[in-house]
Amino acid sequence: MFFSTLVIGLVLGGTYALIALGLTIQYGIARIMNLAYGEITIAGAFFVFLLVSSMGLSPLLGLVLVVPLGFALSWLLYGIVFHPLVKRASHAGQLEIDSILVTFGLMFLAQGLFTMFFGSEFAGYSWLQTPVNLLGAKIAAGRVLGLLIAVLIGGGLWLAMQRTRWGVNLRAVANHPEFAPLVGINRNSAARVAFGLGGAIAAAGGAVMSMYQPFTAVDGGFLTMKALVIVIMGGVGNLGGALMAGLMIGVVEAYVSYAIDPGLTLAATYTIFLGVLLWRPKGLFA
Amino acid sequence: MFEAKNISVRYGKHLALDNVSLSVGEGECVVILGANGAGKSSLLRGITALSPRAPGGSVHYCGQDISDVPAFGIVELGIAHVPEGRGVFTKMSVEDNLRLGGNPVRARGSLNERRDEVLEMFPKLAERRRQIVGTMSGGEQQMVAIARALMSQPDLLLLDEPSLGLAPIVVGEMFETLKRVRDTGMSILIVEQNVHASLNLAARGYVIEAGRIVGEGDANTLMNDPVISEAFLGH
Repeated sequence: MFFSTLVIGLVLGGTYALIALGLTIQYGIARIMNLAYGEITIAGAFFVFLLVSSMGLSPLLGLVLVVPLGFALSWLLYGIVFHPLVKRASHAGQLEIDSILVTFGLMFLAQGLFTMFFGSEFAGYSWLQTPVNLLGAKIAAGRVLGLLIAVLIGGGLWLAMQRTRWGVNLRAVANHPEFAPLVGINRNSAARVAFGLGGAIAAAGGAVMSMYQPFTAVDGGFLTMKALVIVIMGGVGNLGGALMAGLMIGVVEAYVSYAIDPGLTLAATYTIFLGVLLWRPKGLFA
Repeated sequence: MFEAKNISVRYGKHLALDNVSLSVGEGECVVILGANGAGKSSLLRGITALSPRAPGGSVHYCGQDISDVPAFGIVELGIAHVPEGRGVFTKMSVEDNLRLGGNPVRARGSLNERRDEVLEMFPKLAERRRQIVGTMSGGEQQMVAIARALMSQPDLLLLDEPSLGLAPIVVGEMFETLKRVRDTGMSILIVEQNVHASLNLAARGYVIEAGRIVGEGDANTLMNDPVISEAFLGH
């Protein structure tokens, strides 16, 4: 049981890590604390759900389509909502407060729209439910595939951030936005691209989640909170840290759920979070 | 080659730079001397639009009016700015910082050759290409800042107090390196409090006080000017 619980935890943590990556990019590079982040994830999940349940298409096709859509939606949102906030903010702290207030409102708006269109019932579809044997653990093939996709997207993104000119530029903006112009970077358009990229990842995370887990119109808030815990544990803007922290939270939840009580998973997550905030406020890997 | 006319920089109600005009010739090294708070950094920041300029005034470069070019477009034109406090990306490696310096399209074609040249000029950096810049000494970080600026293949290099906070022996080394940069024919506009070393480097200079240019002349004249000796050398 030890091994199978570990595998279940890693599968769960893989999706958490993926979802948290987008938030850490939005917060670390675009400097927007996006409380409506989980709603983009749920939008991605609903999009794939519609493709699969009403058009009979493959969830994988849905994943491919949802990434550019998530980017475009967030990119537009940045231009319409956040660009004016960035322009008028006199310092970083003000932008943070303004963006928290605005995205808090956006969260309710999005949840209202989702409920209006899809109702408040669980949505989901069954896909690749056949169990596969992984190190002695029997796990639905869809979940394993979900983990693989999360690792592929996360790893690919990490490599791109390390190796490509584009990634190095985004890291520079995360490090010292005020120095970005010295090396020819337009920090406003870099922030907008980063926000779009975060949205693309959020939507991809939703698509992956929908592959093995039913969801509701109002689940976004929990996802945002979980992602936020992971982002802070990993260190804001630290992609590797978010990946590690995401997997960790998944594994802890799996063990707590197995050994103690499934109802305590959220409590366990927040206990870890509290510990990190008290003793390692800059993240576990700082 | 470069000319700023009547530029002013204002921070809130404080007028940091008041109607300053100056020019730098092709391949010329020009120094701006002045005490703390005289407006030296504001002058460079105003030139590269890092600090917004007050309305009025103009900046011309290579026969082109660049007054409306935003800060991120300046390095693309061939003007590299090493700001006060170095402006390096402290959480990134030396390699990443140099790579960022090579961002402008004008520098991309010959990136590897350029990096080899720059590392030859700063051999210490060659040994530490993978080190995170924030963990290096002040002098080494200053070298990273200058090396990064050189990576953009500039025609005009703006240096803001490169010797600030460095040990005397490191200052000497740095000025030697700057002489080699100057001798490649690059134009340099340098802001300094180290009057002696910078007048040795430069051919010409301006003196700035309370945001205004109060004197100018060739390096020899300035070196022997009693007002300057009194103001900056303390005797």
